[in-house]
Amino acid sequence: MRSRIPHILLLTAGALLLTACYESSDVTRHEPGVYKGEADPLAKKLENDGELREQLNQRFDGQRDR
Amino acid sequence: MKLIRKQAQATPSSDAAKRGSAFDRRTFLKRSGITASGAAVAGSLPLGMMRRRADAQTDSAPADGDVEVKRTVCSHCSVGCGAIAHVQNGVWVQQEPDFESPLNMGAHCAKGASLRYHGLSDKRVRYPMKLVDGQWKRLSWEQAVEEIGDQFLKIREESGPDSVWWCGSSKANNEGAYLQRKFAAFWGTNNIDHQARICHSTTVAGVANTWGYGAMTNSYNDMHNCKAMLFIGSNAAEAHPVAMHHILRGKENGAKMIVVDPRLTRTAAHADQYMRLRPGSDVAFIWGLLWHIFENGWEDSEYISQRVYGLDKIREEVANWDPATCEEVTGVPEEEMRQAAQTLAENRPGTIVWCMGGTQHHIGNNNTRAYCVLQLALGNIGKSGGGANIFRGHDNVQGATDVGPNCQTLPGYYGLADGAWKHWARVWDVDYDWLKARFDSEGEYDSGDGTLAHPMNIPGIPVSRWIDGILEDPESLSQRNNIRAVFFQGHAVNSQTRGPEMKNAVEKLDLVVISDPYPTHLAVMSERKNGVYLLPTSTQFEQTGSVTASNRSIQWREKVIDPMYESKPDAAILHLFARKFGFADEMFKHISVDDSGMPSPEDTLREINRGHWTIGYTGQSPERLKLHAEHRHTFDTTTLVARGGPCDGETYGLPWPCWGTPEMKHPGTHVLYDNSKPVSEGGLTFRARFGTEHDGNNILAEGAYSKNSDIEDGYPEFSYGLLRRLGWHQELSADELATIAWVAGLREKPTGSASEQDVAEFRDLESDALDAVNWKTDLSGGIQRVAIAHECAPFGNAKARAIVWTFPDQVPLHREPLYTARYDLVSKYPTMEDRQSIWRVPTRYASIQDTDHSGDYPLVFTSGRLVEYEGGGEETRSMKWLAELQQDMFVEINPADANDRGIKDNQWVWLEGPEGGHIKIRAMITDRVGRGVVWTPYHFGGWYQGKDLVDRYPKGSEPYVRGEACNTATTYGYDPVTLMQETKSTLCQIKAA
Amino acid sequence: MARMKFLCDADRCIECNGCVTACKNANEVPWGVNRRRVVTLNDGLPGEKSISVACMHCTDAPCAAVCPVDCFYTTDDGIVLHDKDLCIGCGYCFYACPFGAPQFPKTEAFGVRGKMDKCTFCAGGPGEDGTEEEFEKYGANRIAEGKLPACAEMCATKALLAGDGDMVADIYRERVMRRGGRPQTWGWSKAYGAG
Repeated sequence: MRSRIPHILLLTAGALLLTACYESSDVTRHEPGVYKGEADPLAKKLENDGELREQLNQRFDGQRDR
Repeated sequence: MKLIRKQAQATPSSDAAKRGSAFDRRTFLKRSGITASGAAVAGSLPLGMMRRRADAQTDSAPADGDVEVKRTVCSHCSVGCGAIAHVQNGVWVQQEPDFESPLNMGAHCAKGASLRYHGLSDKRVRYPMKLVDGQWKRLSWEQAVEEIGDQFLKIREESGPDSVWWCGSSKANNEGAYLQRKFAAFWGTNNIDHQARICHSTTVAGVANTWGYGAMTNSYNDMHNCKAMLFIGSNAAEAHPVAMHHILRGKENGAKMIVVDPRLTRTAAHADQYMRLRPGSDVAFIWGLLWHIFENGWEDSEYISQRVYGLDKIREEVANWDPATCEEVTGVPEEEMRQAAQTLAENRPGTIVWCMGGTQHHIGNNNTRAYCVLQLALGNIGKSGGGANIFRGHDNVQGATDVGPNCQTLPGYYGLADGAWKHWARVWDVDYDWLKARFDSEGEYDSGDGTLAHPMNIPGIPVSRWIDGILEDPESLSQRNNIRAVFFQGHAVNSQTRGPEMKNAVEKLDLVVISDPYPTHLAVMSERKNGVYLLPTSTQFEQTGSVTASNRSIQWREKVIDPMYESKPDAAILHLFARKFGFADEMFKHISVDDSGMPSPEDTLREINRGHWTIGYTGQSPERLKLHAEHRHTFDTTTLVARGGPCDGETYGLPWPCWGTPEMKHPGTHVLYDNSKPVSEGGLTFRARFGTEHDGNNILAEGAYSKNSDIEDGYPEFSYGLLRRLGWHQELSADELATIAWVAGLREKPTGSASEQDVAEFRDLESDALDAVNWKTDLSGGIQRVAIAHECAPFGNAKARAIVWTFPDQVPLHREPLYTARYDLVSKYPTMEDRQSIWRVPTRYASIQDTDHSGDYPLVFTSGRLVEYEGGGEETRSMKWLAELQQDMFVEINPADANDRGIKDNQWVWLEGPEGGHIKIRAMITDRVGRGVVWTPYHFGGWYQGKDLVDRYPKGSEPYVRGEACNTATTYGYDPVTLMQETKSTLCQIKAA
Repeated sequence: MARMKFLCDADRCIECNGCVTACKNANEVPWGVNRRRVVTLNDGLPGEKSISVACMHCTDAPCAAVCPVDCFYTTDDGIVLHDKDLCIGCGYCFYACPFGAPQFPKTEAFGVRGKMDKCTFCAGGPGEDGTEEEFEKYGANRIAEGKLPACAEMCATKALLAGDGDMVADIYRERVMRRGGRPQTWGWSKAYGAG
């Protein structure tokens, strides 16, 4: 018995040590939660509003060297 | 749960970005920034209130809530950036980029992007005030004008009109600036001046005397075409940030960029080659470059033989500047010089850019002429991609120089001779003798060359020297009495040198009047308890008018909001005083004044058009400028020429010269002296301004002429006499001839249209008086029209001159600064002798340089700009969005110099100049400056020798940021041609505070 | 679908702070809050470079990932915004952000700009667009007006670009190609010796 306990401890300690060295790619990742605030009409607007999209694209020309 | 970011890679660069480097200026400011001034304003105004801010509103604003869109021009530098303002209920609620402007394409620097704050500012002078026993007391406008007017009239009565000194502004529109000059003439003095004196006066004089006009020859936009760019004494990244858009585009197109400066500036950070120059050694540097150019035969010999006079004399001087001598004086090693010279030689056309670093020296005119000579030797002037791109400072400093308040000339560089006064008397439609009688007629005074002259013909005291007009013994002045009162309209005195003497001078005055949007340093710098008036004056966003950018393009600026609080525009204030003084009817004879008391900017511009033939400010009618503003999107951003549309073929803003009458439709001149184009399309020759010969040599052009010219060689300036000799005088219309005959004094002023019969007697008349009427004085524009019909330049076709025989140094010479750290060089490169009178004041040179101060004051002290502020900074330091970014006055000092003095970064230090002025500022330790050189910004004010003067401001009007004016510690020194002040090379000592 | 992006071209940036004041102007950002700032590396030394930094509107925004109250949302165009009514001002996002973008106004917790303030890509915040309330809480909503962020639109040298990432990339690629063709005859190492 006396000899097994250290052995187990050693194994456990070794395993722990290894764990400490090892950066698992399989850890729990924090996924952004679901947004809980007030809705923003703009969030979806650009997708549906082709006119606004077009307006923004044209507006972008102002940033060109011309 | 273990929390890690899904993609946890903060890249090294973004990490570093977050930290910044140890000594970056922002970090420095952030550390020093959370000061009282910061805390005081944090959260001062609720945000919604700023948008809706109503306390400054006036009744005339439309109350229907519709958004009006106004197009204005930034008032913070000479690039001329357009800006769009959205105005609702009279409040400037939103600022939008003006993508359509060909000058800035929507771009702005920190100042331009803050323009809307002008409409929000709560730091303004809100109503007229006067200082009574140390307290600011509110007045009505009527009271103020009566009180000030009565005192001015009393001084005029007792001491003569020259005892009031007037200061106009480069920040006024062309119309305001023009009326400032006209006002002084009607008051009866030449004692009026403005910022250009201490900005580019040495450029204007040096450049105009080299090739004709003292202005930027090309444009910011034209820098897209450069193959090489040499910056000397210009930090465009901070002083003209939007110019950098054009500069970097030029660089991306392949141009080699060389920066020469005592500091490794933010502009230098973008250069291909940077050379650290010892302050005040510009001439030596340029001659050092030319040494390599001549040595290797890199000069443009054909260009020189056709278009340049006097270069041989330059060669003789340049021969003295071998690489070793050049390095000894400038500190730049031979290999760097050779490399730069080769770059300039192999990459033509190249341009040179200079600013205050070159002009603000006691030999400023030598510097500017040396720069010109370099460009002439390389054949770079008069070419797209070449030129002398002299970046002017204030938004309308070019316009104010051209048409505004200058002590040495009437509007349009006509000078002060009797002929000039008679020309303007005709334009103003007033009697010349009446004008003359307005002046001091008690005596004649030293005109500067030992001869006596009438005060009307002697240049006034310039802005750099008004304090000497107060402090000097009256016996030493070339006018009847000392200055007893001053009237400042739009000027910051903290941008002038010799602060402590200025304080004494201000305290000696009977009266100080400050017409400005803000109280200014002048209101608080002295111990005065009485006799200071503040007149609330509108910014350019509260009035309409035209403004001339550095490239000579004139833009129409729409009024954005009504005058804030009780303020009035400059021109309206001048009208009030003209009425008080009894000459309003004469002065505003052809300028209508509306019910609010505002003289019509359109009428004023038309009067400017009628008089400014010398520089072609004649074709830019308000209608044409408004058309350009409306169709600005049709102009090419490189050539500035409109392609199609109603302005087809014209250059944006009709850059002067825009010859002849507006009806002549001259397109403006984009590149000066470009003889590859016809004059009718903006081509030009060098001006024949200096006669036709010198020492028996022909100085007209030889074999060079503008495209399609009917005279295929050099020719003098056009006069009626020249037209007659050429047989072209018959092409003048009857109306034109009638006007010419009137100008010649041969007939009455024409009223209505003249018939051929009316002028028959003059058609073939040979008369000296008629012959003498020239392209500058012919008010009909006929002489210009006929010359251009033959594709000739009205001002003649001459060589540029590399030597100026009318200046103290014919050949530009290096002379050591009056206060130099290299006293060992003084014996070889001494300054000039003292002068008894330059423009009414004695001016010292040798007697100052006689003393060696380099022992007690071993550090070279120079100054410059920060991007966030402008000029004296009173306005920009009162704008919250800008003030937050620069909260402390500081001095840049090299780590070695700091360690020698036991100074740590951000520590308070005393900087003391050799005349005793000392300032308490923070140390910023940086390698940006070399060892032995320190640098400060010059925009601060509101402190004096360690003391915050916050209590002296009218309550609530103190700028968000105050600090020591660097010029409290600067010293004596003036250019002998223009009285430019020396700010860029003096001495100081620094010690821990 | 387009993704809105900022890009700062360090070869063009001159540290003029135009973007900073344009942001202050458009959004009326109070003193002490810097939604955008210009960072300079090697200030005053050869090789000095500046770049303008604000919220980069990350595709996988770390701020959103760590937010304990889930106040962040991303528009379909990739603009990262947050609801100030929900935000508790804990500063966790400040730890997470690689750019130091989140700002914490110094005035009281319920001051004019809420607990945490940051660049909105000039797209306001939740709730109805273009209202006074939206402006007071979040600043301008230029996107809803068909305009792009004021900082980029007013950039002095067009160094800072903002818009559809593909269009931004096109401009940048073109510039890089042009610069690539530019022979460099002189470099900092030569100007300054070995340093």
